Amino acid sequence: MSELSIFFSEVNERKGVFNRRAFLMGGLAGGGMLALGGRLAQLQVLEFDRYRLMSTENQFNFRLIPPPRGRILDRFGVELASNRPNFRVLLVRDEINDIDATLDALSQLIPITPVRRRQLLREISRSPKLVPVAVAEDLTWEEFSRVNVRTPELRGVTADMGEARVYPHGGAFAHVVGYVAKVSDRDVAAAGLNPDPLLHHPGFRIGKQGVEKALDTVLRGKSGAVKTEVDALGREVRKDPEGDIKPVAGKTVVLSLDADVQSRALEVLGEDSGACVVIDVQSGDLICMASAPSFDANQFVRGLTSAEYRALSEYERRPLLDNALSGTYPPGSTFKPMTALAALDSGLVNPNETVVCSGQMWFGNRFFHCWKRGGHGAQNMHEAIKNSCDIYFYQTALKIGPDRIARVAQAFGLGQTFDIGISGQKPGLVPSTAWKRRQYKQPWYPGESLSFGIGQGALSANALQLAVMTARLANGYKALNPRLIKSIGGVETPSGAVAADLPFKPEHMELVRSGMAAVANDTTGTAYRASQLGLGPVLMAGKTGTAQVRVISRAERASGVRSNDSLPWHLRDHALFVAFAPYDAPRYALSIIVQHGGGGAAVAAPKAREIMRVVLLKDAAIRARIESPLPMPEAPMSTTGEVEGEAPPPPSETTLPAAAPTISGGPTQ
Amino acid sequence: MTASAITRPGERDRLIVKLAQIDWTFMLVLCLIAATGAAMLYSISGLSWEPWAAKHLVRFGLCVGLMIVLATVDVRFWFISAYPVYGFGLLLLIAVEIVGDTSLGAQRWLDLGFVRLQPSEIMKIGLVLALARFYHGLSAEAAKFSWRLVVPLVLIALPTLLVAHQPDLGTAVLLAATGAAVMVLAGLSLRVVGALAVTVAAAIPPFVMFVLHGYQRNRILTFLNPEADPSGSGYHILQSKIALGSGGLLGKGYGLGSQSQLNFLPEKHTDFIFATLAEEFGFVGCISVLLLYAAAITIALRIASISHSHFGRLGAAGVTATFALYVIINGAMVMGLAPVVGVPMPLLSFGGTVMLTVMIGFGLVQSVRVHRYSEITSGRGSLL
Repeated sequence: MSELSIFFSEVNERKGVFNRRAFLMGGLAGGGMLALGGRLAQLQVLEFDRYRLMSTENQFNFRLIPPPRGRILDRFGVELASNRPNFRVLLVRDEINDIDATLDALSQLIPITPVRRRQLLREISRSPKLVPVAVAEDLTWEEFSRVNVRTPELRGVTADMGEARVYPHGGAFAHVVGYVAKVSDRDVAAAGLNPDPLLHHPGFRIGKQGVEKALDTVLRGKSGAVKTEVDALGREVRKDPEGDIKPVAGKTVVLSLDADVQSRALEVLGEDSGACVVIDVQSGDLICMASAPSFDANQFVRGLTSAEYRALSEYERRPLLDNALSGTYPPGSTFKPMTALAALDSGLVNPNETVVCSGQMWFGNRFFHCWKRGGHGAQNMHEAIKNSCDIYFYQTALKIGPDRIARVAQAFGLGQTFDIGISGQKPGLVPSTAWKRRQYKQPWYPGESLSFGIGQGALSANALQLAVMTARLANGYKALNPRLIKSIGGVETPSGAVAADLPFKPEHMELVRSGMAAVANDTTGTAYRASQLGLGPVLMAGKTGTAQVRVISRAERASGVRSNDSLPWHLRDHALFVAFAPYDAPRYALSIIVQHGGGGAAVAAPKAREIMRVVLLKDAAIRARIESPLPMPEAPMSTTGEVEGEAPPPPSETTLPAAAPTISGGPTQ
Repeated sequence: MTASAITRPGERDRLIVKLAQIDWTFMLVLCLIAATGAAMLYSISGLSWEPWAAKHLVRFGLCVGLMIVLATVDVRFWFISAYPVYGFGLLLLIAVEIVGDTSLGAQRWLDLGFVRLQPSEIMKIGLVLALARFYHGLSAEAAKFSWRLVVPLVLIALPTLLVAHQPDLGTAVLLAATGAAVMVLAGLSLRVVGALAVTVAAAIPPFVMFVLHGYQRNRILTFLNPEADPSGSGYHILQSKIALGSGGLLGKGYGLGSQSQLNFLPEKHTDFIFATLAEEFGFVGCISVLLLYAAAITIALRIASISHSHFGRLGAAGVTATFALYVIINGAMVMGLAPVVGVPMPLLSFGGTVMLTVMIGFGLVQSVRVHRYSEITSGRGSLL
């Protein structure tokens, strides 16, 4: 037991140490437990709300139901953009083990080209795992049902019936109505911090141009949702019908356009590049706003191949550009009515005074030429407009100076953009002495007035502005504004007729109008033959314009100016024409620009006549007038003065006889 | 059948006396924890006994039986088997190193054909036993600080390094910490403890950056900044915190924990079962279970302190230290206070090996209580 004694002496000390240390360890463990309890209190009591929200976000999934996109109609209710059922096949990456095998199986059922397959694989690898990717769209019913019966075997594949945008008129409205296309990263970025979840829906298309873009949020509607409980893999566990939200369809947008006129305008423009705008002279409603050449907006909905896109974007005549709004051209002689009005308004020019046109005039250090070799002889204002005499307008512009002309041009809508609800308008330019000083730090040289007077030089305008200019002139008293969007969701937008009066004397405007009438209806007018509507008493007034693109050298002039046909396309003159009808009681104004088309009278005026005929024949009141028997010869001459002094009254049977005398020209001066 | 009975050598060897001396309160606490575990497993599997809850209860039942048997085993038998158990465990660890079955990228299992053995678990008991036996023959002075402490250091280092090499970092840390705890309990100078603690703390950053495997390093970096990659490596911690936090004060209700029922919670039946509990029973439920663990630890430490043998004291306290480390490390991991290491919540988590180890350990604790008046005179079997 000797060993024991050693332990007895030791035992108490060791036990004491152990007990103290055991107490210490118990304390440490207790401290650890306390820390855990504190952490639990923090997570479960203090931060409960935050984690409850995160848990709910985990647990529930709101599957979007995209709303039907609002339709876009023309003034008579013709569909310009609507929706059609779209049978498609979707694929969710997350549920598929072997993408290649799945695609192999699918290609047995629906055609998938190798190109499309590569494209798909790229798309699938790019998009988030849980977001469905469309494998094929626009399937036929047969293809759709073939896939549909097989979906139970094909994990991650769903056959789905969505809606796709369709443009029944193809290219006719591609610029103004625009189109929708797949959402790009830039669209998502532009949507700000809290983008509409619809943007990520595989079937969703966003407005990219024209009305589709400008009114995208209105047309889009509000998405609905099906509330489902999902597990960690995103699989649906249960539905919660009470949590569902019904989608709200996008609003219907009615435009002031007329589908027939617009389609005809595009046909008439044909292969040419250009634009045509038709406007209601009384209300400011845009009847037609066509840009040529155009493209099929439906292609953009399904997505262009890169070859298709290259073909569109590299074509010299630029089909993707909206010529009516963003194509600015020198208005050429179509601007002469503005110069004439400025001259009358200034009081410095007597309209009856004549200027002798010899075909050229010396100014500064060079000759300025009239378009007519040999000249027009003595011209008063009326004749100068009718003949489009350049020398007369050179002289007039010199006399009154650029600022008076600029003031008139601006009052008639040039150099500005209009609030028509869509973007893409270019304001063009109305030069003035102030502009010259600001832009170039140079004084205005008198030589520039000469070009300005005949609508050349720095001056530029788009087709919409020229149409508005003509409409204001035809209307004669109101600075009416164009209107494109007639109503949104049944709510009428403000009319363009609510506008300030023009600050010019009606008799001055009548004088200019009569000149334009002579252009179209006097047998010696520049566009006489091209402007005869053949609609009986309903006549058109107009003004031709041929805007020069290149400088004609003296040598060339001496040897004979080359004809447009012999020049490369991009050097040919722009052909323009502005018109309004009926002349006696204006209802519609029109502008047409044919880019590098050649002469205004030869190229633009016949097209304008065609389009104007369609416009007029669609107007019931005008049809009635055309079909009514000719007025009796004893139509009172005295009404002439009435027309001269007042704004043109609305077309009605009683005013019809007033037409004849004023058209003949001369006497009204 | 009073305390006087077990003080009498003849009387105390009777089985009925031994059974009466088992700490049944301690047993009840352990049963409550295991039952809670079974209830949670029943909830997770969609209110079904399969595949976990029934198995958990059956295993626990068997373990309770084993614990009672071990409680009646004389503490002197534990004493003489200490080194053999440690040696056996070490041999198995070496065997695993050579022929081990690789599962989940780590060599941890030894397939013996009929059972797959995890030697690191045997080592948790073996190490405590070996250390307790060594200190049993050491004076208080030597235990404080002397050259003889090289022996416990080697005893700890060998299994720790082998386990770390598998690589099973969680268990290695647990082994080292358990060994350290026994050394401290035995009376290691607190100055040395402080110096060592500072050294270890300073060594952790370079160790993490240069010695650890890529995935281990990632776990630790993820722990430091879980929001960096919420769907990747930070997913476990984040989802666990969501489960905990969304439980609130009283929980979402039994069987209604969306995080666990819908599989957002990873390893919900094993390492993260505490998060399931927290989600369904809230703060109140969590604190209740933590109190049960605290009670178990307190009771076990008290049992250790009333033992008359130094071996019994250190053995029981060492096992308790392991248990407490399990609870605290797992709790901290689930609550986002520690990196994700594969340490389960003892008795609550589903998993046979850990339950077996813990219950064998508590068998030792019960045995220490039952045989608290036994004297162990020397290193060699006075039992024989």
